[in-house]
Amino acid sequence: MSVHRIIIDTDPGLDDAAAILMALASPEIEVLGLSVVAGNVPLQDALINACKIVGLSGRTDVPVHGGAAGPLVRDRVLGKYAGIGAFDDRLVPAGQIRPAEENAVRFIVRLAREAARTGDPVTICAIGPMTNIALALVQHPDVARGIGRIVLMGGAFAAMGHRTPWAEFNVYADPHAADVVLRSGVPIVMMPLDVTFKTLFTREHFEAFRRGGAAGQALSNLFTTFDRSDTARFGRPGGPIHDATTIAWLLRPDLFKGEDVHVGVELMGVTMGHTYADFHNKLGRQSNATVITDVDQAGFTKLLIERIGRHGGARSQPMPEA
Amino acid sequence: MKTIPIIVDCDPGIDDTIALLTAFVSPELDILGITPVCGNQPLGRTVLNALQVCELGGRPDIPVYPGCFRPMLREPIHGQFHGKTGLGNTTLPDPVKTAEEMSAVDFLIEALSLASAKGEPVTLCCLGPMTNLAVALRIKPQIADGIGRVVMMGGAYREPGNRTMTSEFNVLADPHAAHVVFSSGIPIVALALDATHQVMLKPEHVTAFSRVGGRISHALGELMAFWDRNDVARYGSRGGPLHDPLVIAYILAPHLFGTTRARIFVEYESELCMGQTIADWYGKSGLEPNAEIVTRVDAQGVIDFFLDRLSRYAEKVPA
Repeated sequence: MSVHRIIIDTDPGLDDAAAILMALASPEIEVLGLSVVAGNVPLQDALINACKIVGLSGRTDVPVHGGAAGPLVRDRVLGKYAGIGAFDDRLVPAGQIRPAEENAVRFIVRLAREAARTGDPVTICAIGPMTNIALALVQHPDVARGIGRIVLMGGAFAAMGHRTPWAEFNVYADPHAADVVLRSGVPIVMMPLDVTFKTLFTREHFEAFRRGGAAGQALSNLFTTFDRSDTARFGRPGGPIHDATTIAWLLRPDLFKGEDVHVGVELMGVTMGHTYADFHNKLGRQSNATVITDVDQAGFTKLLIERIGRHGGARSQPMPEA
Repeated sequence: MKTIPIIVDCDPGIDDTIALLTAFVSPELDILGITPVCGNQPLGRTVLNALQVCELGGRPDIPVYPGCFRPMLREPIHGQFHGKTGLGNTTLPDPVKTAEEMSAVDFLIEALSLASAKGEPVTLCCLGPMTNLAVALRIKPQIADGIGRVVMMGGAYREPGNRTMTSEFNVLADPHAAHVVFSSGIPIVALALDATHQVMLKPEHVTAFSRVGGRISHALGELMAFWDRNDVARYGSRGGPLHDPLVIAYILAPHLFGTTRARIFVEYESELCMGQTIADWYGKSGLEPNAEIVTRVDAQGVIDFFLDRLSRYAEKVPA
């Protein structure tokens, strides 16, 4: 079995927690480390949360690196649920994992350059503002060469925005970083709100997470406590778990449909952070991303619940050799 | 003697080279490292030039850390007045010295964190686009505490631009990096075109430098002769403006300069005015000043200062 070697660039965050735990339960994926960035919550809180999440999995071989505390150029904006801050110990128990010494940008630069040398590329799952990745890309041309693919959760097309009327949060929080990533030449798979809004999770699903041991219980606590359903918007109960789609795509690309198109981002004015995709090739520019347009909702739900469930018997699950 | 620790962030470049050669023979300065960046030339060339200039100046002991290979957001642009190699028609021997393994960004983070811990802040001499410093600041904002001040060559306030109508090359090449530095809260000394156009390196000066430069006379004369813009209509005389070396002169001989405190800003959105620097001369922004903008320069004093410094290559034992 060929294993995806991935770095998860993350700002946990509830749905980040689901994505990270999904990856850590999947033998098809080798998580080389987490690079943490300010986004949903301030950097210090995101770092605490990332350590707690890795701790829940029982894994001690996954380093957690702290990265950028704010965006490249614009003023800092936090997530709508920034008030969550560091996860309460009653919801997510504290563990033994501590942040690694090396900063996240240097970690990405080092692994990507190593990958460029050995020809064994790394995949980055980008599920927060992409500041760390942009800061790595500008330092050396081998960084882009060593990254085989960036699977990112970000952007919105027909779905409009959720942080502003026109912008999705991860791109809005650092549009300049998104611009660097989109123009980097690295193959990109993009999970916009258009697709993450399609799969809604409800209390029954959160109950099902509980089968996944300490990890599943903590995840269930988080999603039950911070209800993200928006019936007025979605027309039915339940809330999205955006970030987990990136991990699901690595595991089961057959669950998704996408189109290769040119994608860009607006960097100024009231529409700052707005993404556009040239679905009808009006600009005549080369495609720079595979934009995911549809998902097998039942398949994705089942996959996430099944993988989180594996944490219940985590010790008996085969883990890939490091 | 208590020395001033400096890091020279640069993109050599002819005028960078004159700045470096001057710093090399100034015992008041402790040069912790040189961090070449993509600017006047692509990164590979600015690193090579820095290594060659270290050897020309007899200072192979100074480490050279390769910097960012491109600006933060924009496509790279390169200088127009430095010839094919960045050093005019001057050919220097291939360097024996090699660049450090560590990147400029990692070096800045490490050296400035240490400086902050020791309470011995470093003066950052920025002679090129400020990508390295901006990236380091975004990775670890606390390194600002390890910087005493940034003395930078770049921008154009009352003077028009030199690369576009509004903009000076170093700021235009990475306006986003300039924005990061200007908004960092670090004290800034800005040597913009307003200052550097006051000091023209004229043909008669070049002759004088060629006479005093000892073992670097030949290279120095060639570099300086290449620098002549031959544009009397714009500059009021023959010669070229002594941009980057003024940073070193300002640190060592501040009495030759007059400054005005103001808040400075940079335009990084408009394509027409991209890279334009703006000074809040009359307190319109409601924000505190963040820079000393050099507005007056004693041009003859500066030329004499460089003649004195560079004549030290005649006294020194050849490397």
